[in-house]
Amino acid sequence: MTDNIAAAPARLRWLTAEVVELIEETPRAKSLMLSIPGWSRHRPGQHVDVRLTAEDGYQAQRSYSIASAPEADHVMLTVDRIEEGEVSPYLTRDVQVGDRFELRGPIGGYFVWTAAVGGPLFLVAGGSGIAPLMAMLRHRAAAKATMPAVLLYSSRIFEDIIYREELDALATRGDGLQVVHTLTRGHPAAWAGQTRRIDRDMLASDGIAAGERPKIFICGPTPLVESAARSLQELGHEPGLIRTERFGPTGG
Amino acid sequence: MGVEPGDMPALDGNAAAGLLSELFALDVTVAHFTCAGCGAEGELGGARVYGGTMGAIFRCIACDGVVLRLVRTPAGLWLDMQGTRKLVVPVGS
Repeated sequence: MTDNIAAAPARLRWLTAEVVELIEETPRAKSLMLSIPGWSRHRPGQHVDVRLTAEDGYQAQRSYSIASAPEADHVMLTVDRIEEGEVSPYLTRDVQVGDRFELRGPIGGYFVWTAAVGGPLFLVAGGSGIAPLMAMLRHRAAAKATMPAVLLYSSRIFEDIIYREELDALATRGDGLQVVHTLTRGHPAAWAGQTRRIDRDMLASDGIAAGERPKIFICGPTPLVESAARSLQELGHEPGLIRTERFGPTGG
Repeated sequence: MGVEPGDMPALDGNAAAGLLSELFALDVTVAHFTCAGCGAEGELGGARVYGGTMGAIFRCIACDGVVLRLVRTPAGLWLDMQGTRKLVVPVGS
């Protein structure tokens, strides 16, 4: 759908990233702003592989989506803490400004959208699956693009909504972006958003109709991604216009 | 390999882009493959992938047949593509 090309060499080197700022996004999620000498400009939706090496030489490697726009000064990764994980407890709890670790990227040309691809743009996120979609929305704003865009974003509770204030600000720019939140495990008294898991009715009522042929990107936990992708096909969206990124066993 | 559907949730082919880049000079997650088993076509980035950083099995969305295996072994990168009849890598003009 996006006429992705592989012309750019994919060969990657391990680079050294330095943490220049830490942002507590939610009680569980932290954003790391990174300075990465040798970094090549990424495209929104791409990810990096992070490699941590213990003193005894043991290495653990995980993939994280890039949350920042290509136009930003630093690369942002947003990491959700998985208590039994090997990598995320370090990245969300122990990491300090000035720390360095290895990463390679940007990686992957499949789950990618740029303003040049055009719209409409229909994004579906669950939890920290918002990260690569946020890169797309930040890029859309930086590029001053105005094609219609909808973000349907599922969180457990209000306090778990990542980038909440920035999403509010993006949605009030009047540039064609609509943000719809849904909370699945309780909501504030004055909540105006949705209050259930993303389902076919919600994708139909709050999303972009199949007739508009939106480019669709879904990112989140596997059950959410698979159910949303299936529902969207049932609603008439072409499989070729639906791109998915599931969190899997390597999230952690 | 010992890794089969059911053992762990599937990922998207895109998730193995880093591993693929250790072997291929171009980003083959955007390549179109033809499944040798059923003839279905798809993008490698959209195939179902099982595995992690040490290796990955790509399975056809249509028939679940194995289209590509790539594993990092002590002897080197081990590639099995007998399940892929054709791989077309778009490189622009």
